[in-house]
Amino acid sequence: MTSTEERTRAGKRKPGQIVDMSWDPITRIIGNLGIYTKIDFANREVVECHSTSSLFRGYSVFMKGKDPRDAGFITSRICGICGDNHTTCSDYAQQMAYGVKPPPLAEHIVNLGEAAEYMFDHTIFQDNLVFVDFCEAMVKATNPGLLATAERTEAPNGRIHGYRTIADIMRAFNPFEGEVYKQALKVSRVTREMFCLMEGRHVHPSTLYPGGVGTMPEPTTFTDYLSRLMRVLDFVKRAVAMNDDVFDFFYDALPGYEEVGRRRILLGCWGAWQNPDVCDYRYETMNSWGKAMYVTPGIVVDGALVTNNLVDINLGLRILLGSSYYEDWVAEEPFVTHDPLGNPVDMRHPWNQTTVPVPQKREFDGKYSWVMSPRWYDRNTDQHLALDTGGGPLARLWSTALNGLVETPYIKATGHSVRISLPKSEELPEMTLEWKIPKWSNTIERDRARPYFVAYAAAMALQFLEQAMGLVRAGDTRVFQEFEVPDEAIGCGFHEAVRGVLSHHLVIRDKKIANYHPYPPTPWNASPRDSYGTPGPYEDAVQGQPIFEENGPDDFKGVDIMRTVRSFDPCLPCGVHMYLGKGKSVQVSHTPTYGASHG
Amino acid sequence: MSGIRVGKPQAKPDTPAHVRGMRQGNRGPYRRQPGHHMDGTADARRATGIHWKKHNAVAKTMPSIPPG
Repeated sequence: MTSTEERTRAGKRKPGQIVDMSWDPITRIIGNLGIYTKIDFANREVVECHSTSSLFRGYSVFMKGKDPRDAGFITSRICGICGDNHTTCSDYAQQMAYGVKPPPLAEHIVNLGEAAEYMFDHTIFQDNLVFVDFCEAMVKATNPGLLATAERTEAPNGRIHGYRTIADIMRAFNPFEGEVYKQALKVSRVTREMFCLMEGRHVHPSTLYPGGVGTMPEPTTFTDYLSRLMRVLDFVKRAVAMNDDVFDFFYDALPGYEEVGRRRILLGCWGAWQNPDVCDYRYETMNSWGKAMYVTPGIVVDGALVTNNLVDINLGLRILLGSSYYEDWVAEEPFVTHDPLGNPVDMRHPWNQTTVPVPQKREFDGKYSWVMSPRWYDRNTDQHLALDTGGGPLARLWSTALNGLVETPYIKATGHSVRISLPKSEELPEMTLEWKIPKWSNTIERDRARPYFVAYAAAMALQFLEQAMGLVRAGDTRVFQEFEVPDEAIGCGFHEAVRGVLSHHLVIRDKKIANYHPYPPTPWNASPRDSYGTPGPYEDAVQGQPIFEENGPDDFKGVDIMRTVRSFDPCLPCGVHMYLGKGKSVQVSHTPTYGASHG
Repeated sequence: MSGIRVGKPQAKPDTPAHVRGMRQGNRGPYRRQPGHHMDGTADARRATGIHWKKHNAVAKTMPSIPPG
């Protein structure tokens, strides 16, 4: 089993008082995600959990037969928040298929756009959506005792962020009124402007193409970006300090809180930001240019690095069914039997996948979700690992830290931590932030990694800006490389969407798309039980987690469960309301058509 | 599609990848847009048509940087 072992329980167990609780759809996330749990209120823990999605999108179905050059524009529409990650990833896959390498300035422009996207999306998600679960109003409603302690606890980093007690920070998190909430909205606007300078439009870029970009590389393009970046640095530095204070307080004030959302360490990161000096987009050299990426790809199991070779990562991808509403495709003809290096490609690999949807009733003992179960096959242990992305930042920082390959003027991966140096900004002096590999892969650590990654993206952006302005000053303003669409080709793109791993697999035949499979982070995180019975990461993380909420079954809010699910930054393309049954869900609504296996 | 009852499709997804006569973006607009050279360099005509010869870099060693 690749799932988390059962937690050791201290003390005697009381006779169970098991109540069904369900949230469908979950709010403050993107998409129709439902969480169905059985909660034992006598022992205060979650006994069983199922994650389900009632949306079917079918991008892989309707991409067939289209012009491959359109793929970046179409797949961008998969998501309304990280569409540009799809465009970028699709362009990577196409560049491999067409055999084209964009000029270095184009690569820097894409990297700058993606850095702004990480800063924008993490800020709006963390401060405007996640913090609602940690704000004063929510804590008062769920753990009044904790709020009383927070009022008496001084914030250790108070001199950086300016809030005296932890409760003051929590008040600043209050939605619509709190200072941090309002500031974050402004910052996400500024970071989106930075994005638009580079990629033309947010969230579906208009100037990103395979072979380069259409952005006019004027000196002001970069200085406009730089002046905005310097304006948000104060916010970024404060956010890291504030997050550390609040999350450390949760560990201190609620002993055992590290068990909330804890999962066996199974993290995947596919790498982000290409290094134009090394990257040539050839499959044959993917291992070397993968390692040169500014977020190092890697698979981390139980705290150890299993591989950082993108070829191994690619070949190990398996799409399993088991609890998903699809017919199996193993009887179909494979598209790609061997990769360009001669390695055999499995029938369950995205290159060979055929999507055959079979809408049906939701049965938790049988099939219950539109999400498939992507797994990574580990040859050494012969296991299909249910990797998660840790909401994105946790896996990215973990993999980068363990690899120790990234060394830039602003960032250093040490093997056990990542050091991020940010220059002097409007109010705060130069600062070096250090993210250390945590002991657990749990709710708090997933949330804590997010502001650190915002700082990481800001530090990378500074470097890309310097390099890009250097090229412009030297007169090398080429941003596009011509190419021909081949009759037959295959390509794969590996990137990091904001919330984690993203891969696009493309097969071209007769100058048209014969097969196209995007695998974004949420199918990994929200996957249901696979054909081997291994639960997906949400289910695994929630199942067996203790409940710290002080409310009983009648006014139960499920804040600990929601914190866990939201820590993964779920994105199944729109939450409308939260359903709270008085102990039992009375209505099972079921709409099997239209809309997220690819969220 | 595994026995799902569906209507007549309105879309024809298997249309040609490229329609003849449509300009393809990656060919480059060299003929239509003065100032852009085939080797990827550009001169001041990219930015202005007025006294454009006077707006180029003053020395050969200097780069041609777009205005803005």
